[in-house]
Amino acid sequence: MILLVLPAGLRGQAKGAFEVYRMPELSSGSDDMAPVIMSGGILFCSNRKVNPFLTKKNLEGVRLYELYFAPFNEEGKPGKPVLFAPNLGKDANIGPASVTSDGNTLYFTRNYLEGKKLKKTDSNKLGIFTAKRNGSQWTDIQPFEYNDPAYNLSFPFVSQDGRYLFFCSDMPGTLGKYDIYMCENADGKWTKPVNLGSTVNSPAAEINPFLHSSGRLYFASDRPGGFGGLDIYYTRLAFGSWTKPVLLDEPVNSEADDFAFYAVQGSYDGYLSSNRRNNGDDIYRFTNTIIRWSVCDTLKKNSYCYEFIEENALKNDTTNTKFRWEWNFGDGAKANGITSEHCYAGPGLYDISLDIVNLITGGIEKRQASYQLEILDVEQPVISSPDTIRTGETLVLNAAKSNLPGMDVARYYWNFGDETASSGLEVSKVYPLPGKYNIQLIVSSKPGAGGVVREVCVCKDIEVTANGN
Amino acid sequence: MRETRYIHFFILFLLVAFPLRVSSQEVPGPDENIPFLITFGPAGRVTSWGDDDFSQTFFFTIPKDYKDPFYIRIYDADIGGKTDELNNFWDTRMMYSVYGGKGCYTDPDAKGITPGGNFKSGTLLATRTFGMDNKLDERWFTFGPFNPADGEYYPKFSSNVFKIICDGISGDDGNLYRYFLSRRSDTNVPIQGANAFTYEYTFRMWNNNDTSFVSHIYPYIDSGCIYIKQRNFDWDSDGDFVVVSVERKGQSMPLSGEDQWTESRMPILDAEIGKSLDFRFYKKKGDLVRNNNVVISVENQYGENLQFFSAPIGGVPVYKPRIKVVPKK
Repeated sequence: MILLVLPAGLRGQAKGAFEVYRMPELSSGSDDMAPVIMSGGILFCSNRKVNPFLTKKNLEGVRLYELYFAPFNEEGKPGKPVLFAPNLGKDANIGPASVTSDGNTLYFTRNYLEGKKLKKTDSNKLGIFTAKRNGSQWTDIQPFEYNDPAYNLSFPFVSQDGRYLFFCSDMPGTLGKYDIYMCENADGKWTKPVNLGSTVNSPAAEINPFLHSSGRLYFASDRPGGFGGLDIYYTRLAFGSWTKPVLLDEPVNSEADDFAFYAVQGSYDGYLSSNRRNNGDDIYRFTNTIIRWSVCDTLKKNSYCYEFIEENALKNDTTNTKFRWEWNFGDGAKANGITSEHCYAGPGLYDISLDIVNLITGGIEKRQASYQLEILDVEQPVISSPDTIRTGETLVLNAAKSNLPGMDVARYYWNFGDETASSGLEVSKVYPLPGKYNIQLIVSSKPGAGGVVREVCVCKDIEVTANGN
Repeated sequence: MRETRYIHFFILFLLVAFPLRVSSQEVPGPDENIPFLITFGPAGRVTSWGDDDFSQTFFFTIPKDYKDPFYIRIYDADIGGKTDELNNFWDTRMMYSVYGGKGCYTDPDAKGITPGGNFKSGTLLATRTFGMDNKLDERWFTFGPFNPADGEYYPKFSSNVFKIICDGISGDDGNLYRYFLSRRSDTNVPIQGANAFTYEYTFRMWNNNDTSFVSHIYPYIDSGCIYIKQRNFDWDSDGDFVVVSVERKGQSMPLSGEDQWTESRMPILDAEIGKSLDFRFYKKKGDLVRNNNVVISVENQYGENLQFFSAPIGGVPVYKPRIKVVPKK
């Protein structure tokens, strides 16, 4: 058993585990934002300057947003963006957009009025429209059935299974400046929009909803309590209700506006938009740096209990035997019988011996057999923690009882099962949401001969229940 | 000290490497801890005194490479005096006959447990009948010298085999006696590698009510033996009968009552093949069963009688417990 006194500095705190990189190949010096992946490239909206003849402006000369498509090259990197589907609207802001998983239907934001240059003071709110793929063209542009020119409906997002449509609006029933709504697909028709409610929607604005395959609904909000400006949060539907939104950590969020979180389905790599460089909105790529083993051993329980069998005696008919088998378990305990069970207090080397007592004469034949039993703890990393905890409470996880003989440990790495991680012999974690989390402890050695690093992993489920307070 | 240890190792080596060469020509053997053999006179055919057939046959094996003359000595060969068991008055005569030559062992009737047929097979080499004779009381009588070549050579033992039969001729007293196969006529000097055996053992238990008095006999389990059936007679329920072997500790067997037979079967373990079993007879504690004379024989699944060697083949079997430790889930 390893016994260590932890210096305070070894105690880790759970942190987000993303690395964020600006994507210069998609940046224009104007505003570039809200990327989504479609058809082997990235679709995003931008008010970039193209050329004096093609750049759309309103009457005051303000550039309007258009959709652009940057196809991936052979290395998987986005190439030079080109204007996407110019026929989606004339003299109107277009985007952000969302594409159904079959790639055949485009949901996009656009001003209701198009085809006519308007002044800035003219009312021309945003609505949601759809277009159908027709070869390389996008045609059959239709307004969303719940559009109302008196209100804004924007930021559409269709779930991967096509069952849900999320969007944002200031339509009647909105709780704050701008709320997230959801429609359900009922036989090809969208049900009446439902406000996600006050747990998700705040008096401030909520925009850019994105439902990830993990079940998390990411969105941006400028509500108080964030890092500043718009920040990215996520919520999750649990038992029919949306959970309290969780603020993503740095570097996903910053003091500037961070929004339009979009992760590749099935992973946690993706894109977001931010004006953190004070140079307009830029598109950033983020990668998940969290290590998680696909196969990790379950924490094995140390067992100090054994069954002792005198095998030869078992072969015989010992009914009415005139002898008695007496076990000395080597820790002071004794028991009688051809078979017996005993539990030791812990690991150690135990000298088991067997005396045979002649019940006729009373004579004792000492140490007729002996056995050296070495009990070792299971060679594994050990997670010491409670099995259950409530949301908002601090869970302390400790690896000090790890039994890894001969391993010169370089790092104890903790994956908390919610896309956060930490490292240290003892770490703490606060789960904002209830659920069952599979925690992995991955222990890495210092490089050995030939630079080989040994790694072992053990996992444990933690049940997080809702805090009633 | 070191030399002593070497000697101990050497003796151990001999016992392990040459188990058939163990040397015991004392009958009963020292490992058997049996005070006396016993044969009763046949008058009235009374078996309740502990002899079912008034006759006892023993065989001696002499290694083929032993060429010198040898003697068969009988302790307390007469019937009368301190040692023997009196019934009314001493009127019993007992005949001892030594046989060698072809058939003395291999004749099927010789291997029986009842005196019948051609059980006196082979060549009669010597015979003598005794009654009450104070000169022999608690003394040794000697037959011989005999030439080892006059025995029946039995290849499986690599030995010449001789037979001695003690027959009750008349009277009803009990004759208690012992044998010794000796190189000398006047003292008991064993022959290296010789042994003695019988197929039916009739003997006297200790006159004691102390369970520490344990008598043993050692049936030899030959290859092919699947189970054995033991039969014992007139044990007077005196104590406990327990079987021990290299892989068997304390299997209880039934003991007969007064003038009764009892029998039981016992399957043989693989590890017991080619070795001896240890039949242990513990005296009963409490009320003393005095002058308890008993009979026992063992046969295999084919009804073939098994030999009881005075010096157990393979040595006295020692039970070896084997510990297995299994982690509990």
